[in-house]
Amino acid sequence: MIRHIIRKEFTDIVRDGRFRWCSILVGALLLVALGHGWVQARNAQQEHAAAQATARDHWETQGEKNPHSAAHYGIYAFKPRLALSFVDEGVDPYTGTSVWLEAHRQNDFLLRPAQDATAAQRIGVLTAAQVLQHLVPLLIILLTFGAFAGERESGTLRQLLASGIGRRELAAGKALGVSGALALMLVPAALVGAAALVVGSPGPAASPLARGVVLAGVYLAYFTVFLALSLAVSAWARSARTALVILLGVWVVNGLVAPRVAVDLSKWLHPTPSAIEFARTIEREMASGAGDISPPDRDASTERLLAEYGVEQVEDLPINAVGVYLQESEEFGNRIFDRNYSALWDTFERQGVVHETLAVAAPLLAVRTLSMGLAGTDVEQHRHFATAAETYRRDLMRRMNGDMAENSRTGDFSYAADSELWESVPPLQYAAPTLGWVLGNRILSLLVLGTWLVGTVLVAAARVRRAEVG
Amino acid sequence: MAARTVLRNEWRLLMADRALRIVLGLFAVLLLYALANGVVWLRFQERIVETVQTGNAERASAIEQELAAIANGAEPASRFSDPRDPYVLGGGRGTHTAVLTPGPLTALAVGQSDLLPYYYDVNIYTNESSFQQNGEVENPLNLMVGRFDLAFVVIYLLPLLVLALGYNVLSEEREQGTLALTLSQPVSARGVVVAKLAFRALLVVGMVLAASLLGTLVTGGFGSPGRVLLWCAAVVIYALFWFVLAAWVNSLRRSSAWNATVLVGAWLVLVVVLPATINIASGLLHPLPSRVQMVSAQREASNDAVNRRSELLARYLEDHPEMAEGVVADVTFSGALAWAATDAVNSRLEEVTGEHDARRAEQIALVRRYRFLSPALLAQEVLVDAAGTGDARYASFQSQVRAFAERWRGFFVPAILAGEQMDASVLPDLPRFSLADEEGADVARRAAVPLAVLGGLLVLVSAGAGVGLGRVRGAD
Repeated sequence: MIRHIIRKEFTDIVRDGRFRWCSILVGALLLVALGHGWVQARNAQQEHAAAQATARDHWETQGEKNPHSAAHYGIYAFKPRLALSFVDEGVDPYTGTSVWLEAHRQNDFLLRPAQDATAAQRIGVLTAAQVLQHLVPLLIILLTFGAFAGERESGTLRQLLASGIGRRELAAGKALGVSGALALMLVPAALVGAAALVVGSPGPAASPLARGVVLAGVYLAYFTVFLALSLAVSAWARSARTALVILLGVWVVNGLVAPRVAVDLSKWLHPTPSAIEFARTIEREMASGAGDISPPDRDASTERLLAEYGVEQVEDLPINAVGVYLQESEEFGNRIFDRNYSALWDTFERQGVVHETLAVAAPLLAVRTLSMGLAGTDVEQHRHFATAAETYRRDLMRRMNGDMAENSRTGDFSYAADSELWESVPPLQYAAPTLGWVLGNRILSLLVLGTWLVGTVLVAAARVRRAEVG
Repeated sequence: MAARTVLRNEWRLLMADRALRIVLGLFAVLLLYALANGVVWLRFQERIVETVQTGNAERASAIEQELAAIANGAEPASRFSDPRDPYVLGGGRGTHTAVLTPGPLTALAVGQSDLLPYYYDVNIYTNESSFQQNGEVENPLNLMVGRFDLAFVVIYLLPLLVLALGYNVLSEEREQGTLALTLSQPVSARGVVVAKLAFRALLVVGMVLAASLLGTLVTGGFGSPGRVLLWCAAVVIYALFWFVLAAWVNSLRRSSAWNATVLVGAWLVLVVVLPATINIASGLLHPLPSRVQMVSAQREASNDAVNRRSELLARYLEDHPEMAEGVVADVTFSGALAWAATDAVNSRLEEVTGEHDARRAEQIALVRRYRFLSPALLAQEVLVDAAGTGDARYASFQSQVRAFAERWRGFFVPAILAGEQMDASVLPDLPRFSLADEEGADVARRAAVPLAVLGGLLVLVSAGAGVGLGRVRGAD
């Protein structure tokens, strides 16, 4: 019997012109967004890889100079695009793409693609993720709002139930019928996405396929939430019209209102410093220290070296005291940067938790967080790369100052290192975080989405059991 | 008489409908919430602008004091920060920050103000790479989602409210069987629909305009009446477009359910799908040039310049004979030499960024043609532009800062090349940035085309609705 219902629902949808066109439209948008995302991600990745190679080349061919001059010259790091970023570009347009790694300071990532775009491009972004997060749920609502309410209005619900079928069976049949129709659109898109990953993954990522599988699971759970919710409302509502109005209201709150409310709420609960306050704090602390972090004392540093090597004069030291002092001030600066940048990143993370928490009112927020996380385009993975780049900078500075200290004498400004030293610095090799790391960061969203899934399915089951016949 | 009767009856009906009262109340709450958000953001920016300007004043007075002390025989605090040195007075220590005050209606539309920098430090080292900045510290996640401001409510939520209020103005009468009765009175279907929708439009548009004017009043935005007028015009035309669309769909004599589906579909296509499709199409057809390649090109430019210092000074003096006069004969003079290298880097950077910016402008011009396809994009453009938080005002600010930096260099470079020292007598003549903000007329000129197209759409749909409604008969 249930098979008949499934087939009936499926055929109804596939034959209904309106829904057919809606599905074709959404399916086409999904494919176009996937294709566009892939081309863009691949171009960006190629460009970043090329720029990274050029930056390395500039570093290696900078000619003979003092290692500290080389430290000032520094090197640029470019953020790689991860394999799955073509599905969900996430915050990538709003984070910088490159950072200058130079002596004495931790720089910000610059060149945000969104700054180059227009205001119009901020309201109409369409990635595969946005089609999946916004348009597919709407399609599900349009396909299911009449499941019970419509049958009841036309009087066929009584007939159906009189034929001996259970309500739950009826609901399951309808859900599966709708799922079948959706699968016609989603399965090819998923296959295209998977093929794109296998054929030519645009960039590096730890276990892109595993990430892709979890991503698919997350979206399936999200669609199930909407399917169950629609069926529940349809069983509860007095008329199909009421069901549609309620469901559209849910959709608007979920997709339009809640995300923006989360922005203001997160800023209100966890305010970020202004750019000028942030810069001035670092400037002040770099000059005079903060808390128990105090700037290195050059005389004390020299005294210590003299005692260590048991000599009287700086000139007699077998090393360059300036190199040692430069490294000490580097370490001091690092502690100041860590203090301030960690506080900022932590504030961003707490703001992210506000978005995640609000997912109890709007499942989109949980799904969006998980989607960006799995695609490698969330704030945390930007921080992960920023940390890797900064660690690399610190190692680079340590090597330059170390070479200066070891191979030259205090007061000798003519010492110059050559390409041998530059080449001895290993290139920046970034290892994207593992799937476990991503999911570990996202337990809250997983929990909330899981609760939505179980909750809506249970409510749907209860509502269907109690659905009035007419 | 008839119209007034309809209006009075509509008011009673609306007030009797609890669901509608709730929806309208909710809309009012959202309007106020959006407004509060905008005001908080505006106050934040005002505070930062003040901080920045205080910084300018503090730096200037510290320099003034030290110059006075030196004139009285004191030694400069450090050789490297001697304010008499044009490299110091025009360099980092003398930095003057050029500020863009928040757009007059920022409280109504945050626009690009959370993304684009609104102040730049200007000194002799200012060059093209100085414009590569991030602007305000902001969580990228929040930038991605965007603010809940009045512009958002107008563009996305207002049409939904209009559709909820108008999808069944005629179809309901028919479904309840009251249409024949109504039309037996001395009114036409057109008259009934116009009166009903006019009443709803008065209510909704009135609420939005009241919120807008309240926001303007609270934040002192009435200083730019032209902008307020443009904002209101865009709100009215955009809202009316949706009302008229509802009237047109009603005139097709279908069921309320059909009307609702079609109108929601229209909203989805015009507000969500079209802008997104336009962006995808423009991304594919006219991709914006990437800045990533620019970084490498800039790096090469400066490597090149540093390697050819003395050659560069000779060329610089050739290019700028007016500067050559005061230059000390010895070309190895370090200040002049360093400046020649800096100048060479700057002009190479200008070349590289100039190419990039030209390509970007080309692409954006192409992209902007497509906005005529979506009333939402047109409305957004006018709203944000009127608020003073659109791309144009930031672009104008940036080019003013460029010109100011040029003026700044023109003031200090001759002294650097001549190896001169400066004293307190130059302080009153130091270049100061003053923003030449856009005139209301400039904004109106930019808004004219999108507003006209939006108005054209309104007229077109009105004509369709008028013709359709003329065919409605009581017996339908």
